[in-house]
Amino acid sequence: MALNNNFDQKYIIETRNLDIYYGSFKAVAGVNMRVERNAITAIIGPSGCGKSTLLRAFNRMNELYADTSIEGEVTFSGQDIYARDVDPVEVRYRIGMVFQKPNPFPKSIYENIAWTARIHGYKGNMDELVENSLRQAALWDEVKDKLKQSGLSLSGGQQQRLCIARALSIKPEVILMDEPASALDPIATLKIEELMQDLKQNYTIVIVTHNMQQAARASDYTAMMMLTNGESRSGTVIEFDETNIIFTRPKDKRTEDYVTGRFG
Amino acid sequence: MIRKTFEHELQEVKDDILVLGSMVEEAILASVEALKKRDIEAAKNILIADRDINKKRFEIENKLMILIATQQPMAHDLRLLASSMEIISELERMGDYAKGIANINIRMGDEPLLKPLIDIPRMAQKDVDMLHRALTAFVEEDVEAAQAIPMEDDEVDALYNQVYRELMTFVISDPKAIERANWLLWVAHNLERVADRVTNICERTIFIATGELKEIKNSDDEFWKQHNS
Amino acid sequence: MKEIAIVQGFENNLDSRNRKGIIWHVLFQASTIVGIIALIALMLNVIDSAFGYVAYEARMDPDSLTVDGIPVEDQSKDQLVALLQSTLSSGAYNKLDNETLFVDRSREEVFQLVVERIIRPKIVQVWKFWPSLTRSDEIRATVTREYPKAELDFVSWLTYDFVTRPQTSEPLTAGVRTAVLGSLWTILFTILLAFPLGVGAAIYLEEYASENWFNRIIQTNINNLAGVPSIVYGILGLAIFVRALERFTSGKMFGIVNLTSENGRTVLSAGLTLGLLVLPIIIINAQEAIRAVPRSLRNASFGVGATKWQTVWSHMLPNALPGILTGTILAISRAIGETAPLVVVGASTAISFDPSSPFSKFTTLPIQIYQWTSRPQEEFRSLAAASILVLLVLLLSLNASAVLLRNRFSRRF
Repeated sequence: MALNNNFDQKYIIETRNLDIYYGSFKAVAGVNMRVERNAITAIIGPSGCGKSTLLRAFNRMNELYADTSIEGEVTFSGQDIYARDVDPVEVRYRIGMVFQKPNPFPKSIYENIAWTARIHGYKGNMDELVENSLRQAALWDEVKDKLKQSGLSLSGGQQQRLCIARALSIKPEVILMDEPASALDPIATLKIEELMQDLKQNYTIVIVTHNMQQAARASDYTAMMMLTNGESRSGTVIEFDETNIIFTRPKDKRTEDYVTGRFG
Repeated sequence: MIRKTFEHELQEVKDDILVLGSMVEEAILASVEALKKRDIEAAKNILIADRDINKKRFEIENKLMILIATQQPMAHDLRLLASSMEIISELERMGDYAKGIANINIRMGDEPLLKPLIDIPRMAQKDVDMLHRALTAFVEEDVEAAQAIPMEDDEVDALYNQVYRELMTFVISDPKAIERANWLLWVAHNLERVADRVTNICERTIFIATGELKEIKNSDDEFWKQHNS
Repeated sequence: MKEIAIVQGFENNLDSRNRKGIIWHVLFQASTIVGIIALIALMLNVIDSAFGYVAYEARMDPDSLTVDGIPVEDQSKDQLVALLQSTLSSGAYNKLDNETLFVDRSREEVFQLVVERIIRPKIVQVWKFWPSLTRSDEIRATVTREYPKAELDFVSWLTYDFVTRPQTSEPLTAGVRTAVLGSLWTILFTILLAFPLGVGAAIYLEEYASENWFNRIIQTNINNLAGVPSIVYGILGLAIFVRALERFTSGKMFGIVNLTSENGRTVLSAGLTLGLLVLPIIIINAQEAIRAVPRSLRNASFGVGATKWQTVWSHMLPNALPGILTGTILAISRAIGETAPLVVVGASTAISFDPSSPFSKFTTLPIQIYQWTSRPQEEFRSLAAASILVLLVLLLSLNASAVLLRNRFSRRF
């Protein structure tokens, strides 16, 4: 079944009572979250609280890790992406991903994008697509004279933007970013954040970051995750609100402690 | 450009401060104009306008706080945001002076003015002129202008002294005029204070641009020196 | 050493820690040196046998073959053929003619036959390299005294002719061409069988097989098979390829009537047997190589919506290929040196004609070496030493070409 994007809906991704398991261990419990279209939603929280696990549940990347399963529901434009007749490949096509460590393919800059487009059956003008994708990722001017060079020859920040360009080339609706700037220097980080602001005109972005300043700077909505105090120690979203509110007058004491650095 | 979103938001804050400034300028001129015409209705409108000024100030303050919380401003950006906090509070106080003048107007009721107003409107005009240029200097971070404007405070002080002496003459010749003279003295005093607060805005402008925090000139000291001697 | 700081509660034990370090350093170095010495000793031993003085007598004096004042070495091909025809029995002559028509043989080959069949030099004594160098006067004296008719030559057993001549029973004219070709044919089938099967199995096990008891048993078995003694594979090969699949391995199935081999003891059987032998090694190495492809690359591919097959074909395989090739090189090196399973599968010890098809009888270099070293005469040891050098060169050049191939793949980016 192909996933359709119902543009009438304000929220592009919604979870309902989402639990995520590694084997029998419940890593994430009871998440109810709505990701608004054309906005940047950040997921913050201390290490090991399941931020990345939750993010990967949004495009079924978790299934590549051994023995994961979910309970509850994740919908994309109202359709259950875990439904029996939905192919995870289709989900990952509509909901792209950028990873913590820049991971361009060990191919040329051009091929990084061309390969991605080709596997999805792109038949149009490839040069144009490559240029457009690189322009959208604010990388074109830096690499236009060396498209035949290896993607790995670029600097870390450029590699990450190449990965973003690659994700954009197949025109997904949502881009998930898993700590996209944690391996980058501050300037490269700011460039990525600025890029996200440009991209949200046309895309929806969900970003996991353990740098809460980054969430504060770059996002419109912030989900605060934390381990529950129960026996199971599962991660869950304890507060989800506008970023401005989370960072100036959070409602949950634990959020306050975390954003003021008094956590623990 | 990196951080163009943040730059854009900083520009918005500056624009908001200019809007607040023009609201204050208008209130000052209108309060003196209403007094001159003894227009109670206009004075009441000024009280209402002051609420808008306060509202605008809180709105800007909230924006500033969110920017500080979310954008982690450093160096120049931090000075700009912190000083903007100070400047909007100065502007709000100026709005309060205009409100004070309007209140005096209302309390005067039916009583006519002790004398036709000449120097007081000039003071108001001077205040507004200084404030306008001070805010322009703030937006453009024009250090030279910010250093020059406080020197003009002397003119306002001189006008105040003139109004003071004039009113004293009235009081000496007719002690029954003391209350009406006092009202006008308060008005003049409020206008004198406005110029002092313009000086504070200029100090902040210099701080934003250079990082140096220093008092340009304490006009209060000079004023009292003159009056005690 | 001067003590820089003593902190209360801590013993300043830097000296004793350093001493321990030095002891281990020396031990590790010693092990390396022992290894190197062993290797050098091996090489010296081989070289010692492969060169040296040889004293030989001709069974028929070449001078007696001079015709019209032309010595036998300078005679034309026709003269030499006539000489053979007149000297050898007609049966022996016809047999030679049957193998290859004399018309098709070159003058050199005919001359070689004259030397082998008529002059028939006979080695009376050989000396190793070291004595040949240090005691040449003494050797000369011995030869003059004991074998007055013998000629004394300093020879290198390893020559171009040695590599290009077929095997014979005469040490002076024996070569290893048959064995080298046999080894190459065998290895060809080993690679053809083991490489695609091994890589395919590795991809399945790493990428497709789910984590269950059945696949775990398969994995354990593969790991264990890699350690099974090679003779067991020989018995397996004998049972399967030589006996059970005889119609296939002997070529009968394809209507090939082979003059030299009616049974399944062929190059094909040997290659397939060695293929089975190295298959587990190739699988394990290929699995290792696939597992070593960074997770981030898999994520990158799946993250842009690639299917499993697209990911495996475009990213996993190209990036694992250098590792897979390294594993294959190691496996092939092992296969090329194997002797025992080939003996069981039925390598011939003495054949003088080259393998020409998958269904030929064969011998291989290690078999040849094994056979020569088991002969009592000293001169065969020298032949074996020379063959060892050939085997080493063959091995090194196979490895080198594989390394070049691998570097070509890993240099892509």
